[in-house]
Amino acid sequence: MIYEYWFAGLKPLSDEKKKRLRGIFGSGRELFYLKEKELSALSFLTEKDREVLKKAKKDTELSENYEEIQKKGIRLLLCHNNSYPESLKKIKDHPYALYVKGKLPDGKRKAAAIVGARRCTPYGEEMARIYGYELARAGVEIISGMAKGIDGAGQRGALEAGGSTFAVLGCGVDICYPRDHIGLYMDIQQNGGILSEQCPGEPPLPCYFPQRNRIISALSDVILVMEAREKSGSLITADLGLEQGKDIYALPGPASSVLSAGCHRLISQGAGILLSPGELLNELNVRIVKLRENNNKEKKELETIENMVYSCLDLFPRSVDGIVSDTGLPPGKVLEILTTLEIKGMAKELSKGYYIKIM
Amino acid sequence: MAFSYVSSAALLGLHVELVRVEADVSNGLPMFHMVGYLSSEVKEASERVRTAIHNSELSFPPKKTVINLSPATVKKKGPSFDLPIALSVLLSVGVIPPDCLRKTLVIGELSLDGRVRKVKGVLPVVLEAKKAGFCTCILPEENAAEGALVEDIQIIGTESLKEICLHLKGKQVIDACSHERKAGQRKPDGNSLADFSDIKGQETVKRAAEVAVAGGHNLLLMGPPGSGKSMIAGRIPTILPSPTREECIEITKIYSVLGMVDEEQPLIRTRPFRNVHHAATKAALIGGGAVPSPGEISLAHGGVLFLDELAEFQKPVLEVLRQPLEEHKIRISRSHGSYVFPADFILVAALNPCPCGNYPNMEKCTCSESQIRHYLGRISQPFLDRMDICVEVPGVRYEELSRKEAPEGSEDIRRRVCRAREIQRHRYQEMDISVNAMLGMKKIEKYCRLDQEGEVLMKRAFAALGLTARTYHKILKVARTIADLDESERVLPCHLGEAVGYRTIDKKYWGR
Repeated sequence: MIYEYWFAGLKPLSDEKKKRLRGIFGSGRELFYLKEKELSALSFLTEKDREVLKKAKKDTELSENYEEIQKKGIRLLLCHNNSYPESLKKIKDHPYALYVKGKLPDGKRKAAAIVGARRCTPYGEEMARIYGYELARAGVEIISGMAKGIDGAGQRGALEAGGSTFAVLGCGVDICYPRDHIGLYMDIQQNGGILSEQCPGEPPLPCYFPQRNRIISALSDVILVMEAREKSGSLITADLGLEQGKDIYALPGPASSVLSAGCHRLISQGAGILLSPGELLNELNVRIVKLRENNNKEKKELETIENMVYSCLDLFPRSVDGIVSDTGLPPGKVLEILTTLEIKGMAKELSKGYYIKIM
Repeated sequence: MAFSYVSSAALLGLHVELVRVEADVSNGLPMFHMVGYLSSEVKEASERVRTAIHNSELSFPPKKTVINLSPATVKKKGPSFDLPIALSVLLSVGVIPPDCLRKTLVIGELSLDGRVRKVKGVLPVVLEAKKAGFCTCILPEENAAEGALVEDIQIIGTESLKEICLHLKGKQVIDACSHERKAGQRKPDGNSLADFSDIKGQETVKRAAEVAVAGGHNLLLMGPPGSGKSMIAGRIPTILPSPTREECIEITKIYSVLGMVDEEQPLIRTRPFRNVHHAATKAALIGGGAVPSPGEISLAHGGVLFLDELAEFQKPVLEVLRQPLEEHKIRISRSHGSYVFPADFILVAALNPCPCGNYPNMEKCTCSESQIRHYLGRISQPFLDRMDICVEVPGVRYEELSRKEAPEGSEDIRRRVCRAREIQRHRYQEMDISVNAMLGMKKIEKYCRLDQEGEVLMKRAFAALGLTARTYHKILKVARTIADLDESERVLPCHLGEAVGYRTIDKKYWGR
């Protein structure tokens, strides 16, 4: 296995060539002990590739590195292994090697990718969380990139529901990127897995991110784009998904919102529109578990005046002053009610004086 | 014709030390010698005094003159000893009758032609003179009005050395400066033009300002650029209750030491509003110098200290405010002693929520999460925790700007504030505090007791909103003030709810 690890970690060699070499020689061990003559006989390798192979054999830290990744609990899957995800195998440019920390997606269950902007609105974030929650509760696996904004929110929603979620990273699986998401990173390992085609220890380079998007789309049955600008990485994922024959759904937002422009473009091009988690589950042919309704019950308990303030709230942050002029209540009263709503978990103060509603 | 003395005073910060100016004129080589721990300004007095006496057509015999300023342990600074030195010399040579300066305190600077020029710090000196039992103060004419603020002491203002000598000889008596003359007429101050009715919309902020002023709480205004943070802060003095005469004297004293008192209208009748630029140094803010002079926080005593663009201040400069915010005074220590200046002010600070100012409007905000965190990182959490009330000043919408009806004016708000302050004064009459913001831990428990419903609310808020012990007490104090504005004896859950809404920001949860 150590030789396989060695071969998979040869960065300068393209996946395509790795697959061919591995096909010809059958094991990493053979490749390691490849004779110079045999090597020069391979016409598809360039001089540079041969150099790489030769040089890599002299790697003195190989066994230490291998021990280390085993200690970290990182598994290596090669594209011809049985455990390598079937759905990934189907795409043409599937990665030669896949590193996994935690579990692998269950091929029998439906999987949905929740993707979107890193810098998103609270509306997008909340919707991502809701979709993540409801889909995971119905047993759908959530695939995403663990990025800030939509990605993280969707995965957090899935974890809240106790479902499984998988993060495909643009760096080694032993690196938590973004660093703030360390909590999420740990939780995902418990209830799902961290996946990457980059070898462990690889830093998050910008060029890795568009590549990993193809894995996200390949692993999922549907792709949900929650919020995206007109030119956005999430649209790359959607395009890739389209090429791979996946269903694309986009979440509508206000027509004026720059952050929803990408979603609206997708819808106009024929993507599905996200109406509610329930309808999406229907279309996915997933048996619907009874949806959450506790908030409705609580809503009934609200006093009329509280209901008035609550109905002024939105998933887009509202200022206290805005609510004051909408309701005509004195500012002190509005603040008091907002505090009560916040305590009841039905509103959230996003930044000082700006509130959103919690659904 | 030998030894004589005149009383004067030295200013050390706000503290006044009485000084005896002794002169001895005796036979010997003509010389003018000064001793008594003098700074160079005081030593220069010898030239001024000699020339001024000559130019005032008074005789100055060529004899050995020794001047001593006692006590010799106190460092004497400033030019205010010129006049007492001149008078003590004249007393020694018998130009003016002996005993004419008994129970009289003299200060003033001399110019070469014998004119008496104004000096700083007259008010604290006269106050101290009265306390020490002096009957008369001889002051420069320009400072007479300021001295006359102190009642029950005779103030003689003089324009020249010649004039005061004639007065002391009884040849041409100067009338004592009357106390009423200066206390009477009232000049309209520039601030009266500003009014809260100028501000359209921003109802929440106005309410927060009202609560802050009513209870003496510090106020943090957050909002995008151009939303009117400075405008609101500038109008806060208009809703402050008028200061009492004692408070006016207290405030004027500080301004007097810095020579910032108006000659005609010496008494400062409006509460100060100090807008400090963010380039301010520590010394500018809290006071400084070899013998410290008061800084901005003392100039804001009894009024409002406004720090605009809080995040632009240097971090160490803000940190020095922490202690005066708790103790309402500032103690500056030097090797030769420590100086205490009053610093009881309402701190109003303005802050953008992020470098570009548009957070949480994600469509406009161009700052990354780490930029926002870095920006707020310039202000320490302990400093933020001292801000009792924190409100957002949102950008004003057109409908509000164009609205016809005039918003509530300062006078109405002030009336409510005064009522709330009255209630507090009544409640704390036996203690040395006057407003809710000054309540200590024990007193909070006593005066801000919650009913059962309130306790439940607080408990839930604690868990749901991640409050800390520090914010807990701040909230109770603010709730007490809201209850006072409501003229409610007890702190009700509705008061508490509003107070929770004003809590300060917690950086931990910021920008997530």
